[in-house]
Amino acid sequence: MSLSFCFLGAISFGLLGTALKAAERRKANAAGLVVSAYAWPALLMLVRTLLLKPGGHVPAKVYVIAVIFGICAAVASLAFQVSISIGKVTVGWLMMNLSAGIPVVVSVWMYHEKLNLLKVAALGLVLVSIVFLFWGQVVEKRVIGRNPAGRE
Amino acid sequence: MWFLLMLVILLTNGMSAFGLKMIAGWGLPETVKYPYLTVWYAGGLAAIALPMLLKGMRFGKTELFWGGVAGALSIGGQIAMAVALSSGVPGHVVFPIAIGGSIFVVALAGRLIFGERMNPPTALGLALGFVAVVLVGLS
Repeated sequence: MSLSFCFLGAISFGLLGTALKAAERRKANAAGLVVSAYAWPALLMLVRTLLLKPGGHVPAKVYVIAVIFGICAAVASLAFQVSISIGKVTVGWLMMNLSAGIPVVVSVWMYHEKLNLLKVAALGLVLVSIVFLFWGQVVEKRVIGRNPAGRE
Repeated sequence: MWFLLMLVILLTNGMSAFGLKMIAGWGLPETVKYPYLTVWYAGGLAAIALPMLLKGMRFGKTELFWGGVAGALSIGGQIAMAVALSSGVPGHVVFPIAIGGSIFVVALAGRLIFGERMNPPTALGLALGFVAVVLVGLS
């Protein structure tokens, strides 16, 4: 039963990627979509924050990193939305998820976390995968260049 | 353009969740994540909305509707993972299934709904990427 929630999560996130592509097909403005997609959770989180017990001190550095990483996330969302108008949603979505390798590398550097065999294998595969995805894009551009009608 | 966008996605999306790890590293209470996430979303919102407003761009019902759908699905996914984790399923099981499964769903929709076709290097890259994402989740 508990495991079914993992699959529910997978379906929910998968449908999120699909919905974003559907929005692109309906000519939704990429920036407007990101603004709308961030407005709803911002509102929910604000309500949740206001419901917290008063008195808890939040250091200023928390807000500083929140702004920095929030901007990072929004830029990523915008780049993804623009990318699916010129490329494949599957590749864009995979790239969003492959980016999970970046904090692993930063954690090793910043927090001196140990690199075990699993992490090395995962990061190695991330790199090899990106090389193949980029190669695939080059091949596709050549095909489109030869036959412009062959675009999906 | 596409290559640049992929690099931007890789770096910015990768770093976007790092703040929660920094907060955990500072030993701050669990409840700090709520004001953190409020400012996180608001910061992202402002970063895109302000240039939009300055350029005089507007968004209509289409953006509002699909943005709402995206927000609901994102929150739905987060809640499903949180319930799985709180009911005792270990993280090394939850994350690979949720993330790997989402790629499978998007790939299926890409093929069946949007008619995306993969050339051999892209297909191999996707297969390797799928394994890589699952391994990152496991690690």
